[in-house]
Amino acid sequence: MKIYFGSGPIIHVAPGSVMTLFGIPITNSILYGWISLVLISIVLIYASRKSKIKPIGGIVQFIEIGVSFIIDFVHSSFEDENLGKKYSPYFVTLFFFILFNNWLGLLPIVGEGVVSNGYPLLRPFTGDLNATFGMALITMIVVYFSSIKESGGIKNYLMHFFVGTPKNPLYLIIGILEMITDFTRVISLSLRLFLNVAIGEIVIAVFSYLGHFLAPISALPFTLIELFIGALQAYIFTVLSTMYLAIAVNHATDHVSKKSKRIKKGSKSLVGGN
Amino acid sequence: MTVADALNIVAKGLMIGGGFIGPGIGIGLIGGNYLQAVGRNPEASKFLGQALIFVAIVELFGLLAFASIFIV
Repeated sequence: MKIYFGSGPIIHVAPGSVMTLFGIPITNSILYGWISLVLISIVLIYASRKSKIKPIGGIVQFIEIGVSFIIDFVHSSFEDENLGKKYSPYFVTLFFFILFNNWLGLLPIVGEGVVSNGYPLLRPFTGDLNATFGMALITMIVVYFSSIKESGGIKNYLMHFFVGTPKNPLYLIIGILEMITDFTRVISLSLRLFLNVAIGEIVIAVFSYLGHFLAPISALPFTLIELFIGALQAYIFTVLSTMYLAIAVNHATDHVSKKSKRIKKGSKSLVGGN
Repeated sequence: MTVADALNIVAKGLMIGGGFIGPGIGIGLIGGNYLQAVGRNPEASKFLGQALIFVAIVELFGLLAFASIFIV
């Protein structure tokens, strides 16, 4: 009797190609990404059509709560009201895309149950470093372009890295270091999301292996934890990218609008955090 | 099991154990200070979301240590 005894839990950290389309290998994560993209679009378009002043309950109300939550947060983090209105659609989209991808990745059909070509047929889209890196890269490109645009020119934007005047050698070195640490944001954003989702998959696999025939019971608490972590990571990705944009934009507009006042007052340096 | 295999397992154990000490201390400090702030001023309980953001920032380093065992 070796039915329940494998050599160990089957773990895949990287996605694998499950089929080829016109000679191009299709990985399992991008396949599930397309499926969940269609599902997310249908759900969100349905919710936006059905949205009324009187709440009707169900998934529409859940999505309304999420939208208003993120919009309130984005509005409160920008000093200017119009800027919040301008940028909140992107962050709401980001939040729901990550949230639904995380939650759709916990369905039983996703993972080692259905195998094709030696790899699981479906894999959560956010459990792939390429996907999260792409999301983080696009987010940071949006952040850089908008903060350059809002601060009025690339020179004004670069000035916000320096505490005082860049002619002082100490401030110059600190400012250059700040610029370099800015690029680590892409890596930290993408690695955080990818590792949380991928390690969640691994933990569920390990505990369903340890549970033998009681696998549904032993893996249940970790699946519930993953539900919470999926929502938390979507929130954190959105909040951190909002913060990156808001800090750069607020600080830059602060420079432009209040520069003349502060020089009149005679304050030496425009101190700002990162 | 050769000596190299045994050393590999020991190294993985040390890596997870050592890598989780830092985030453990960090998350403990964040949670403890949050509760202390709420105890002093109950209106501070609305900052739970911000505390969770810092938990996620700290947690990344533990996850990096966990992910490294698949590389060695």
